[in-house]
Amino acid sequence: MKIRFWGVRGSIPAPGPDTIRYGGNTACVSVHARAGGLVIIDMGTGLMHLGNALMAGPFGAGRGAATILLSHTHWDHIQGLGFFSPVFVAGNAFTVLGPGGSSDVLEDILEGQMDPNFSPLQTLKNFSARFDVHAIEPGAPRPAEGLTITAREHPHGSTTALAFRITEPADPATGAPERTFVYASDVGQPLAAGPDPAAVAFYRGADVLLHDATYRPADQATRRNRGFSSYEDAADAAVASGARRLVTFHYDQDYTDDDVDDLVASCRRALDARGGAAIDLVPAREGDELEI
Amino acid sequence: MKVRFWGVRGSIPVPGRTTSRYGGNTSCVEVRPHGAAPIIIDAGTGLRRLGKALLEDGFGDGRGEASILISHTHWDHVQGLPFFSPLYRAGNRIQIFARQRDTHLEAVFSQQHGAPYFPVPLSAMQAEMSFHAITEGAELELGGARVTSTRLNHPWTALAYRIDADRTSVVYCSDTAPFTDLLLGTEFMVQPPALDRPLPPDIAAELARMRAAVVALAAGTDLLIYDTQFTHDEYRLRPHWGHSHPDDALAIARDARVRRLCLFHHAPLRSDDDNDAILARYRGIAAAAGDPFEVLSAYEGLELALGDGP
Repeated sequence: MKIRFWGVRGSIPAPGPDTIRYGGNTACVSVHARAGGLVIIDMGTGLMHLGNALMAGPFGAGRGAATILLSHTHWDHIQGLGFFSPVFVAGNAFTVLGPGGSSDVLEDILEGQMDPNFSPLQTLKNFSARFDVHAIEPGAPRPAEGLTITAREHPHGSTTALAFRITEPADPATGAPERTFVYASDVGQPLAAGPDPAAVAFYRGADVLLHDATYRPADQATRRNRGFSSYEDAADAAVASGARRLVTFHYDQDYTDDDVDDLVASCRRALDARGGAAIDLVPAREGDELEI
Repeated sequence: MKVRFWGVRGSIPVPGRTTSRYGGNTSCVEVRPHGAAPIIIDAGTGLRRLGKALLEDGFGDGRGEASILISHTHWDHVQGLPFFSPLYRAGNRIQIFARQRDTHLEAVFSQQHGAPYFPVPLSAMQAEMSFHAITEGAELELGGARVTSTRLNHPWTALAYRIDADRTSVVYCSDTAPFTDLLLGTEFMVQPPALDRPLPPDIAAELARMRAAVVALAAGTDLLIYDTQFTHDEYRLRPHWGHSHPDDALAIARDARVRRLCLFHHAPLRSDDDNDAILARYRGIAAAAGDPFEVLSAYEGLELALGDGP
């Protein structure tokens, strides 16, 4: 599968000359399966740019379909939806799988974003594409787009968010083995508790573990209640779960490119110090692509 | 009076290499009459950086007062509010003005801060916040400044504001379609309506009345900030989106005899180079027409001193 980063920033888009290298768009990642399916994770402002790129293919002609995984419904994970061009093309079909336990409640939350006080779209019903919204049951593996998707709920400040484990089956034709990508953004850790064993079990053996690395530890210490990880939390999770590659993600909106360079270098040292010298560290940058 | 641009973009914030000179933050303009509290127009993502600057200016220790005038509550005009640092300091006083809606104004902003969307509810803000629903044509006194308003041509309507202080003035006209082709209201249009057809007389009269009110609001102002999201050709494709273009802005500026016209609310995918070219083109058009006003294009960090006061 091919993973591409369309938005890597946390909380609010951060435009400006200081954020150009890593990017200022909020969370959005695409996963193209070997078999041709498309999974989109989170709908931050990066989604607009993914949508514009997709319009060059089947989505431009109303023959596109994709599954959208939603970690949670904070603004920075849904605010790109109204600007996602493929939903305005009849014939395209989207299935949103997200949190909350109730499909109706989740749809109401997404509907609230389109409220006429806030959006000229007025309602999701004005989309031309099919747009089905379903709550996903954590822990139950589910086939989608030629991949298998499992969700797990983790703490995120006063609420929770979903992590996703995405597995691509082995390919007998080429001998390619089974591959796994884990997306774990907006992960709040109880103070100094270390990695949660259940989370480590969920991340276990990932070829790529994308993990929340919003903060440097000093900044996290003064903002614990916001429910985000530091690069040390990300390094701990990668080492404990035996990940092959760690992707840092969801950088604080106030961090400049130089700050993120520093965060990534510190994360490298943290991996090495924890026995994770063999783990490849790949900072998420807008426009970059990873192949597993 | 000083005017500073913190966000100049329409629709959605656009970080990136091709927009970094004009800036990718959504609408936010700070108006600072001499020696008075700031009057902020619109609360797009530009408001976040303005809030940080205000922390150095009395708002950091809870002694700040500000008024925020909201043109309308579409996302690109309110999405910075939860990230406005002065709201998180006790003692600050923030009053928010916006057009009266069917929903109570405070409820609209509470929904933005609701648990599914944002971790901190509006009721937990430590600053003293007040919400003031105003009607089209409302007049206010804020400190020594006089604020007047009129209705614009935008889905679910928006308000233009004029601020007079220090013997000078600024007028903010965003978001609006031209007042020539269709009257935008609460109806959702999937497809753009046909243009170049005669309008029903009552619609034509209402649009003419709205345009005359905008020209009257902007009459003689030192600075007219105007929605020019589209080029003329782009507008023809999407007249129902409620945005204008520079040809229309120049016509309004001419009729209102303004001193300076500032192009504003740039389309999200408009590159810096395209914005440069649009500005050069319309400076040329204004010069060729003998227009007495200067044409500017808003960029993040642009600060203008208006009037001859200190």
